[in-house]
Amino acid sequence: MTGADTLRRWALALPAVVVITLFSILPLGVVLVYSFLTPGDFGNVKWIFSTDGWFSVLFERNIFDDTIAISDANIGILVRSIVLSLITTLITVIFGLPTAWFIATRPVAQRNFWMFLITIPFWTNLLVRTIAVQEMIRSDGVFNRILLGLGIIHEPIQMMFSNFAVLLGMTYVFLPLMVLPVYAAIEKFDFRLAEASYDLYASRLFTLRRVILPLIRPGVIAGSILVFVPSLGAYVTPRIMGGGKSMMLGNLIDLQFGQGRNWPLGAALSITLTVLVLLALIWYTRLTSGRKERNHG
Amino acid sequence: MLDIRGLSKRFGYGKGEVTALHEVSFSIAEGEFFTLLGPSGCGKTTLLRLIAGFTGPSGGSLVLDGKDIAAMPPNQRPVNTVFQSYALFPHMTVGQNVAFALEAQGRPRSEIDPAVDKMLTLVQLLHLKNRKSSELSGGQQQRVALARALVAKPRILLLDEPLSALDMKLRKDMQIELKRLQRETGLTFIFVTHDQEEALTMSDRIAVMSGGHVQQIATPRELYDRPANRFVAGFIGESNFLSAKASAGVVEVGEGRVALADAPDGPVTLMIRPEHVVLSANAPDALELQATVAQLVFFGTDTHVHLVLADGTRLVARVQNALHGGQSLNEGERITISLPAKALRVVRDEEVAA
Amino acid sequence: MAKRSFDVTRLPGTAVLAVACFVILYIPMAILVAYSFNSGKVIGNWEGLSLKWYGSAIHNQAFLDAAINSLILAVTASVVSTVFATMAALATTRTEKFRGEGAIHIILNQPLMVPEIVLAIALVIIIGQIKQMTGYNGLGFLIAAHTTFCIPFAYLPIRARLEGMDLSLETAAADLYAGRFYTFRRVTLPLLAPAILSGFMLAFVVSLDDLVMSDFLKSPGQDTLPTYLMGELRRNLTSEIYAISSLLLLLSVLIVAGSWVATRKKD
Repeated sequence: MTGADTLRRWALALPAVVVITLFSILPLGVVLVYSFLTPGDFGNVKWIFSTDGWFSVLFERNIFDDTIAISDANIGILVRSIVLSLITTLITVIFGLPTAWFIATRPVAQRNFWMFLITIPFWTNLLVRTIAVQEMIRSDGVFNRILLGLGIIHEPIQMMFSNFAVLLGMTYVFLPLMVLPVYAAIEKFDFRLAEASYDLYASRLFTLRRVILPLIRPGVIAGSILVFVPSLGAYVTPRIMGGGKSMMLGNLIDLQFGQGRNWPLGAALSITLTVLVLLALIWYTRLTSGRKERNHG
Repeated sequence: MLDIRGLSKRFGYGKGEVTALHEVSFSIAEGEFFTLLGPSGCGKTTLLRLIAGFTGPSGGSLVLDGKDIAAMPPNQRPVNTVFQSYALFPHMTVGQNVAFALEAQGRPRSEIDPAVDKMLTLVQLLHLKNRKSSELSGGQQQRVALARALVAKPRILLLDEPLSALDMKLRKDMQIELKRLQRETGLTFIFVTHDQEEALTMSDRIAVMSGGHVQQIATPRELYDRPANRFVAGFIGESNFLSAKASAGVVEVGEGRVALADAPDGPVTLMIRPEHVVLSANAPDALELQATVAQLVFFGTDTHVHLVLADGTRLVARVQNALHGGQSLNEGERITISLPAKALRVVRDEEVAA
Repeated sequence: MAKRSFDVTRLPGTAVLAVACFVILYIPMAILVAYSFNSGKVIGNWEGLSLKWYGSAIHNQAFLDAAINSLILAVTASVVSTVFATMAALATTRTEKFRGEGAIHIILNQPLMVPEIVLAIALVIIIGQIKQMTGYNGLGFLIAAHTTFCIPFAYLPIRARLEGMDLSLETAAADLYAGRFYTFRRVTLPLLAPAILSGFMLAFVVSLDDLVMSDFLKSPGQDTLPTYLMGELRRNLTSEIYAISSLLLLLSVLIVAGSWVATRKKD
């Protein structure tokens, strides 16, 4: 390709590149810089270098005697974010895989209908879906009204603002993200291989474990990434379902830029969250490109 | 050992119902190389899938060693299949593919490993044991599929057009190889093919199928020499058909007549193979007819002579080419031909799908 | 009597879990819609069927303003991002590797790799400064932010389509003395149109769906539908919220149905 050609192609891509550089990459750089500055008195920062922001991610200094202790609150939220995201991913696999299997094994004419049912929640506003799932478990919501009405309980059970509520909310909103890639993988699965497996004395379970799962694994991994990454960075759903009691990283970051008034800590937490997401994505690319190489090698 | 009794299969229901198999009955003996032969859609693959257990019969029974296995799921039948597409597990090595059946049966490692090696040695692929199955050539995949299906010592091995994906040369080699394997293992093979030559060269017995019916079951020799009906005669080898009238053991075609003891009275169809047509008069006990030479087609070892009879019936005669081109026929020439009585067969019309 | 066939596509339990999955997905939305028709103000107390809350939503100026803002944002951001993304996709496909091609690809996907909340915070820092310095606090900031995160969503389907496209068609057109632009207009663009449409739809819905970015960046009076809904949710849970939510749900059903009809026609 000639130099002029290269130039023309760059020019064609330029508007998109400029927009993203200005409004995404540059601001992210600023966040990185801010994580090494000193908190201002009323939010914002003072331009004095400091590693306190990063220090505070994991530790806290006692204001009275200056002793250093591990920050239970921050670490608790960090761990909760990762654990809840992992459990969400697991639950969506447990429901999403059979659902994808069910759809992919329907007659072709019916498949479109079932996929339509999966696509609708996928395209529905996240906030609306969170409000819908909140209605089920809020103290005045559907479950409590049913249980009260049946006389099983005499006062509402507090289900909201808990890890359970966050987990339920995230599972609900991210479930369609699991079904779509797994469905695509199962649709490509050659059912003659299942036939061969049964022919060779394999049970249903053995066939599932040794033939079906290994071959639809790429779809399950893609679905897991599609669920895990937004779960880890979730803000809206944990905010509504978890409130101040069951915060996730996104909410903690928000807090530092709002009431917490510690922008460098918020910035450091933001970078931490971004790095965690990137690690998940890198793990994913390693896993998928590694497979390709092995297949070719 | 395998008794198929009144086995039938229908797909769909109501007006869309299609019968793929009409109450088929026959038996297969231990150690036999048995072939199901027929054009596509004749029901041979349906029959194979019924025996393998991938689909259930609409009626009839399937008795293996005295036990009805018709309702048994495929993973409990002592029957293994070599698939047309091979269906090798692409995420496994050759060794893992071959070990699959034994692992699924929960055999101990100490038993699996030597069995796999023995099987791979038998198909001459031991050196590729650790290759991914997707990295093999078509012929190699074929052998792995064979080894995989044989390793658990099934009572019957089913082969679903296993050679159709191979090129001509490889197919010939594999035909010999398959026959060798069958002899060495002493197993019962049920082989499905649409290729009559493949069926004739390999089989102990052949079931010719068409329209969901078994038209004839016989040895290759018998099928060729004594086809039961017009379909079999036309499907196996090349044939000429003539309409004739028969009465009191004498058949009559145009001006010619010959004694044929097994001909029933009334109109009959006669069949004769091209190589049995004699291009001269004076053959003893033969039907002599006048014919016009329409076309001569040179085939190297022999020449096909296309003939037209007085009533417009077309016949083909096959003549071996002599060393010094003793060929004296010319297109358009009128000659007398003889159809020897011992080469003439009376054929019935085949059973057709209801 | 037919004997039961062995079905290789069957896995015991999958049907049960699949049905459970659909029930779980649809029961909450069905209840939300049902409650939106409740004439009572308290959500759980059923006081009779009524369209009252839809009426009240339609006459609610704040809701209408939010809807208009959402629409302006979604249309502008999706149109601009689709145009930019199409250009970028054309630049990075149907060619041998060129200097910086990989960089362009990474830059264009970058917004997808960063959690929305992080991007929102990052923009708050910068845009806060700009607002102070310039005094401008119009819808432009939201448009820029939405355009940014919409670009990768528009870029992916368009690029995928271009990569799968038969290059020989363009070559054939060029061979027939078609100029570069003529080839693009008469050959490339028509082939690319479905992908551009789906990229646009994706961008449109993603913009409409956004709560975090808008919530952090909006100036007073710039509520979008999601931020308005979130604000109401913080104050009080009313049947009107459910009515508005149901309207948004209806909108997504229409969008999905519309795109299915559009893709069906092509087949």
